[in-house]
Amino acid sequence: MVGGFSILLWIGAVLCWIAYGIQYSNDKSSSLDSVYLGSVLALVVILTGVFAYYQEAKSTNIMASFRQMIPQQALVVRDSEKKTVPADQLVVGDIVEIKGGDQIPADIRVLSAQGCKVDNSSLTGESEPQPRSSEFTHDNPLETKNISFFSTTCLEGTATGMVINTGDRTVIGQIASLASGVQNSKTPIGIEIEHFVHIVAGVAVSIGVLFFIIAVSMKYHVLDSIIFLIGIIVANVPEGLLATVTVALSLTAKRMAKKNCLVKGLEAVETLGSTSIICSDKTGTLTQNRMTVAHLWFDNQVFVADTSEDHSNQVFDQSSATWASLSKIITLCNRAEFRPGQESVPIMKKAVVGDASETALLKFSEVILGNVMEIRKRNRKVAEIPFNSTNKFQLSIHETDDPSDKRFLVVMKGAPERVLEKCSTIMVNGQEQPLDKSTAKAFHTAYMELGGLGERVLGFCHLYLPADEFPATYSFDVDTMNFPTSNFCFVGLLSMIDPPRSTVPDAVTKCRSAGIKIIMVTGDHPITAKAIAKSVGIISANSETVEDIAKRLNVAVAQVNKRDAKAAVVTGMELKDMSPAQLDELLANHSEIVFARTSPQQKLIIVEGCQRQDAIVAVTGDGVNDSPALKKADIGIAMGITGSDAAKSAADMVLLDDNFASIVTGVEEGRLIFDNLKKTIAYTLTKNIAELCPFLIYIIAGLPLPIGTITILFIDLGTDIIPSIALAYEKAESDIMNRKPRHKKKDRLVNKPLAVYSYLHIGLMQALGAFVVYFTMYAQEGFRPSTLLNLRVEWEKGYVNDLEDSYGQEWTSYQRKYLEWTGYTAFFVGIMIQQIADLIIRKTRRNSIFQQGLFRNKVIWVGIASQVIIALILSYGLGSIVALNFTMLRPQYWFVAVPHAVLIWVYDEVRKLAIRLYPGSWWDKNMYY
Amino acid sequence: MVIQKEKKSCGQVVEEWKEFVWNPRTHQFMGRTGTSWAFILLFYLVFYGFLTAMFTLTMWVMLQTVSDHTPKYQDRLATPGLMIRPKTENLDVIVNVSDTESWDQHVQKLNKFLEPWEQNMRPVTLPPAQKNDVCLPGRYYEQPDNGVLNYPKRACQFNRTQLGDCSGIGDPTHYGYSTGQPCVFIKMNRVINFYAGANQSMNVTCVGKRDEDAENLGNFVMFPANGSIDLMYFPYYGKKFHVNYTQPLVAVKFLNVTPNVEVNVECRINAANIATDDERDKFAGRVAFKLRINKT
Repeated sequence: MVGGFSILLWIGAVLCWIAYGIQYSNDKSSSLDSVYLGSVLALVVILTGVFAYYQEAKSTNIMASFRQMIPQQALVVRDSEKKTVPADQLVVGDIVEIKGGDQIPADIRVLSAQGCKVDNSSLTGESEPQPRSSEFTHDNPLETKNISFFSTTCLEGTATGMVINTGDRTVIGQIASLASGVQNSKTPIGIEIEHFVHIVAGVAVSIGVLFFIIAVSMKYHVLDSIIFLIGIIVANVPEGLLATVTVALSLTAKRMAKKNCLVKGLEAVETLGSTSIICSDKTGTLTQNRMTVAHLWFDNQVFVADTSEDHSNQVFDQSSATWASLSKIITLCNRAEFRPGQESVPIMKKAVVGDASETALLKFSEVILGNVMEIRKRNRKVAEIPFNSTNKFQLSIHETDDPSDKRFLVVMKGAPERVLEKCSTIMVNGQEQPLDKSTAKAFHTAYMELGGLGERVLGFCHLYLPADEFPATYSFDVDTMNFPTSNFCFVGLLSMIDPPRSTVPDAVTKCRSAGIKIIMVTGDHPITAKAIAKSVGIISANSETVEDIAKRLNVAVAQVNKRDAKAAVVTGMELKDMSPAQLDELLANHSEIVFARTSPQQKLIIVEGCQRQDAIVAVTGDGVNDSPALKKADIGIAMGITGSDAAKSAADMVLLDDNFASIVTGVEEGRLIFDNLKKTIAYTLTKNIAELCPFLIYIIAGLPLPIGTITILFIDLGTDIIPSIALAYEKAESDIMNRKPRHKKKDRLVNKPLAVYSYLHIGLMQALGAFVVYFTMYAQEGFRPSTLLNLRVEWEKGYVNDLEDSYGQEWTSYQRKYLEWTGYTAFFVGIMIQQIADLIIRKTRRNSIFQQGLFRNKVIWVGIASQVIIALILSYGLGSIVALNFTMLRPQYWFVAVPHAVLIWVYDEVRKLAIRLYPGSWWDKNMYY
Repeated sequence: MVIQKEKKSCGQVVEEWKEFVWNPRTHQFMGRTGTSWAFILLFYLVFYGFLTAMFTLTMWVMLQTVSDHTPKYQDRLATPGLMIRPKTENLDVIVNVSDTESWDQHVQKLNKFLEPWEQNMRPVTLPPAQKNDVCLPGRYYEQPDNGVLNYPKRACQFNRTQLGDCSGIGDPTHYGYSTGQPCVFIKMNRVINFYAGANQSMNVTCVGKRDEDAENLGNFVMFPANGSIDLMYFPYYGKKFHVNYTQPLVAVKFLNVTPNVEVNVECRINAANIATDDERDKFAGRVAFKLRINKT
């Protein structure tokens, strides 16, 4: 991830080894220090790399464990025997048998079928059952009835088929390979981190080279200059940042997983936060993915049914006698049944055998009337004509449950206009009335109204057969239709829709206030799509499409100024004729867009169009057909429950609960982590100056080296690690969901004010504070600052064992070395103390610390404690380990930098105050990062 | 998403740079307008001025805690180190007898080194206040402050003549370097208020480091006799108080070092309160150097 840093550190390590090589060729007894340092640097690179890989792998593992592929089985006829074999062992030409509930094991040509219906939703996204038979009906394999596709499901009936394609050659396999053909791009956070690495590496290399030249021109030995270069690189590179960013992202990933957003790649965590357009699927994501009764029309009145997830309160008037009749038809004229053995399951969750509309009606009546199966038993079915597309109605004949009434009851449901044709009377308030023009008009108004809501409308009628003509022993024959099929009594209409999830409208509002544009892309009918879009708020209540305006003003569509319309509903056919420029214009000019009747390829075009607007696009989807778009999107979001495996593997994120609202929490987390990474980086960059200045001063002013390379590594990889991770736990400063999404090219993770403020303001203050500790320690041990100037050459000569200090005392080289290490420790402690202040100020970027609360984020305090404890251990616990260059430091030196730490805090509070007081001012522009 | 890098022509790049350096439309120089530059420069002037002042102040406060005369802590100087003169690179004393240049630099260094000892002895040129005392041998020359600062402290005379053949006074052999019998001076590092020897007499001894070194080293004489260091030169009161302090010296004259061989010599001080076995500090109470006398 942070490849640039690794390279810098590798360069550092190699330089170390080269330096040792030069030393060794000059003097065989030269110390192995540079070899150790080089090895440590290499180790740091390798360890952080391994760590990042481990974190990445861990989150991928969650995904793998989640998938839990159950090996698919197929019933195949081989050697004149029926055998069950794993689906991947099928070959072309195998004859397989399929029954309701099976997944189709390969692309097959149907040889024979009995009432077979398949659900092609994994392929097309639409869960409408489609009949399959052995007839060849269409040239297009996707349309013809005699081909079933791999991974689709057989809903009912049985079929025998011959395998014509397996594996990657199946239609679904081809879509999957189309998806894998779409190039994977860099994530936005990946780009940001790369940008940041470029900045830091640029600073490191330019300062390094600059001082290399200065050192050489100051007549330093080239070997020494190389060692300076190493020091500068090590000081400049935030070694621990790779690990920190990874941990911060994986913390967020975990938090998101708890909220049902499973993230596959860590970097995708942030992508969601910068998302500016969500292209959402309709079915299953915005809607509940099940037909539900939404409206009823009887007694010349429209009633609203409860469409919430549990149907808990059906409040419409159920006292009317018409309702009694209607409910009876709903109950009886229905072939759907609950699967057995689900007594404890709530009604809405019970599995049903039957198609979507019948299921909806079954559940609707079960909720209102109670045990439907019992009612059906009491009203025994004597004959039935199932629904077919030519009749467009369904009819069944029942005995009544009234023992005194020996008449048969014929019930019928179907397409309203077809049903109405067969009626001569209409029931109003329980009374049959002749169907006259006015009632017919009322019927049509209601039908249009419900249809206009995008709902699927069914008409219901019944007829009591006279007992004398049709005695109890009468044998009904559905083929010859030896019973009347006209002069029915029309009872009512019932409309169904796949209703929006109850959490979605709220989530859409939140997205809108967060500046995220939601585009609905569906294969469904435009009217249905628009209705759902309106009901969830994707098209807001007061916005109109061009067509709406035309209708309102009563003018032709072409006359309406397109810019007046906020919303647009575009069908796949219209999209086909659009040039990219037109699509761009459409996307730019309308804030509320619904694409209906779109194909998978068009989904891809829409995503590309959005990306051309510099938007970061999230795409939700569940079908295999969605997978190319999921892959193309900056972040693909697959549905965990309904999603196909192909969609899940193409996606970057999986919504475990298929709930659009989970995306909003994901966005929130993503934005928070972006802000917090900013803070983490600002915190980490600050001390780099405090680590760098010593080298520069050392080269220029000739002081004994204030801080060693190893010591720097102990700050970067020791004391600073936990605090910088702790910043990832920081709460948001203000409502981040009221902010516009960040602009991909303008709102950078590391911007100029951040770098300048960290490097030239706080970093410099920190360096000064640390120098005070350093000078104090030296002065109290005998070397006053004036003596230290230009002492470097003598100081470092190993054979000078009587170097005079400010008081005339003489020091051996080891005594000096030990003092130098004490200096390292002092400087280290100076930085550490000020990093505590730095940590506290980084909690907020705009608000005062007191507004944010010092104690709300407890992890910060864990971080501070860890800093102090690690420093204490290094100074007092490992003081005797020479290789680490730490010594016991007098307790009072730990407090020398405290005034500077306080100064940092005060300065930053002043900065934030001025930013809050004068928003948009020069100060705000230059000081807010 | 595939990032398509727009290829820019060289001219465009130059043009962009030009615009960055001076944008005539917005009157921006290097991305900032004149006022913006003025603001930012003023800001940094004030800010860095403030930081400098703050730093200077803290440093000044810090220096107030440090005495001019004695360091606050001396814990790192528990054991004084030993050092040799002439001070040569890596403490290799190499004498090519026939090559005057090779040893003359040592001689120059030694002359310079011994100057303070010479000066402090010259009664005529110095006012009495700067003249060093003749002290009582075998006793510490203590000059306590007794409540009031008592300075400058007097220093004891160390007469160069004590160094006998190595004193360099009227010495035609140039401390023996011209004859291949060089003198090496050994001095103990000054440590303020250090009572070397803990009231017992102490002396410096030299040996060859290994057996063959001892053989090659041959005979040597120590000046003063036995290489002894007198207690009267202690304690040292520091540069500010103890003006004209000249520390005691021990000279070793190597009489017949095997020529053309590198000899490792180690000298250490034998004193009750100076440990000479510190494993890390090879110069604590001892000094090791190499001696090589090249004769043709």
